[in-house]
Amino acid sequence: MTRSVRLSRISPVLIILGIAITLAIAGEVRPSIYATSVTIGFFSLLALPLGLLYGQGGAISLAQGGFAAVGAFTTAILTVKFGWSPFASLVVSVGLPAILAFVIARPLLRLPELSLALVTISLVMIFKVVFERAERLTGGYNGITGIAPLPIIGVERSYAHWTVWTAVLIVAYCYASYVESGRGRALNAIRVDRLLAESTGTNVALELSSLFSLSAGIAGFAGWFYAHYIGFMAPDSLDPTLSANILFMVVLGGRKSVLGPIVGASLFTLASDLLPGTVTQGMIFGSLLIVILVFFPDGIVSPGMMRWTRRRATTIPEAKNTPGVRLERA
Amino acid sequence: MTLSARDLSVRFGGLQALAEVSLEVTPGRILGLIGPNGAGKTTLFNCLTGVIQPKGTVVVDGVEITQLRTDERVRRGISRTFQTPRLDMNRTVLDAVMLGYTPHLAQGRLACFLGLPSVGRSEEHLRNGAIEKIRLLGLGGAAEDRAGSLSLGQLRLLEVARALVAGPRYLLLDEPAAGLDESDRIRLADAIKNAAASGIGIVLIEHNVGFVSRLSHELLALVNGTVVARGEPNSVVCSEKVVEAYLGPAYVH
Ligand SMILES: Nc1ncnc2c1ncn2[C@@H]1O[C@H](COP(=O)(O)OP(=O)(O)OP(=O)(O)O)[C@@H](O)[C@H]1O
Ligand SMILES: [Mg+2]
Repeated sequence: MTRSVRLSRISPVLIILGIAITLAIAGEVRPSIYATSVTIGFFSLLALPLGLLYGQGGAISLAQGGFAAVGAFTTAILTVKFGWSPFASLVVSVGLPAILAFVIARPLLRLPELSLALVTISLVMIFKVVFERAERLTGGYNGITGIAPLPIIGVERSYAHWTVWTAVLIVAYCYASYVESGRGRALNAIRVDRLLAESTGTNVALELSSLFSLSAGIAGFAGWFYAHYIGFMAPDSLDPTLSANILFMVVLGGRKSVLGPIVGASLFTLASDLLPGTVTQGMIFGSLLIVILVFFPDGIVSPGMMRWTRRRATTIPEAKNTPGVRLERA
Repeated sequence: MTLSARDLSVRFGGLQALAEVSLEVTPGRILGLIGPNGAGKTTLFNCLTGVIQPKGTVVVDGVEITQLRTDERVRRGISRTFQTPRLDMNRTVLDAVMLGYTPHLAQGRLACFLGLPSVGRSEEHLRNGAIEKIRLLGLGGAAEDRAGSLSLGQLRLLEVARALVAGPRYLLLDEPAAGLDESDRIRLADAIKNAAASGIGIVLIEHNVGFVSRLSHELLALVNGTVVARGEPNSVVCSEKVVEAYLGPAYVH
């Protein structure tokens, strides 16, 4: 197995690397493209872990944007108001949303899929109200300005591009590795049939809350990066619609594959750049989603598209005691 | 060392699905569970595995597990199969069987995320074990096929393989032989006997009375949630209540 399995894990990473390099080349030619590519990378960072949680584990979360906002405000407060170094605050920006998510996940994850979605979106609303009201810390509606750029990266767009895309590559690799592991198998069972997962020994609540927490931690990292890149953070910067849009990207791009969330993030970002006005965007995105889901229920990139890699991914000994021979059907 | 249930009672609204049913199975023994449709056989399995909460107690190897979740019971060595197979039809047979390893998975979450080589080695190892069980149940040729391409009988065999790879101490089989042809049935019977010989305690639900009496050390007959007979297979099969409520007089001749 080993070589071809590693191939199936590495091929999405190579494709993403290809996307990142292409964007970088385009960015060198036309610098404004870097702004787009950083946005795509940022959205991908939020969408990828949700793809794992929802596409593989079947648990919808509409809180990714909210956790990013928590990470962003955390670093804004710690660096601007308390003079922390951004790397010290990074720990808190990742840890706080992760812990928060883990603690609230247990009761939440018992809920059916749809109520889970509703509860997580309410959670994001609560975050927003807290940011607006905790004026002394967050600056209320005005937010916090003057967040220092990250050392080395500074405000150099190409550095920002490579930072965020490196993170995307790492997360994508982790996603692909997890899916191919025994834990990924258990996660898939949770989505397909909870009773099956429980009856084969999976602690469903623990499994999902760990992933929910991990998604929140990655979102916190994305928020941390965002705050230092933009230099300003207000309750409206990463608002509840972002959470909904992230879910949209995952579903549109393909919730069951590693590349899906990234394709979704790219399409969403390009479309928002090209289309005028939020109302028109909403209409077009809405109809696009319906049309795509009617024809491709699993989104644009579906696991079926990658099946040939899957098929080659496992080599099993032939039934008649000839170890090492591949089973290949005519 | 026993899996024992004491006075299990379950009500579904007005229906008394189980009424003070007790049973005991020890390692290496096969307990056959018979009874007409709706007698409460599957419900009994659901009580033992914690899918539903009955009145009464369930004890495994001296520890009461009545309050434990299903997955915790699996980790304590109770595995089951389902009467209607439950699995992801879009995955391969091999993959479906490997799911059975979950309770004792030696793959840390972090290691899985990082794609460490140890995870690959562990998977390789599990794969070989799973293939062995798949062959044992005669599905060797289909290991790489979509689970959805199997017949219902084969899916039940797959479930047996999946339950076996978990390395259970007690194995609950819900009509595993239904829909099997003669050769598959023999293979299944061998697998069950071997599992018992290796020290697993087995409860076997089965409608084919000939098949189950030959295989079991003991039979327990349920009718309307009540135990009507238990003991040595031949005497249970010939007992008046069983013949009357389940087998019909024709069976005796
Ligand atoms: N979750 C449930 N809710 C309500 N009634 C149920 C439930 N599960 C089982 N029953 C009822 O309890 C009774 C016993 O069902 P059970 O499935 O245990 O029977 P069984 O002995 O396994 O029958 P079969 O041989 O048909 O599989 C049936 O009347 C069934 O309709
Ligand atoms: Mg039944």
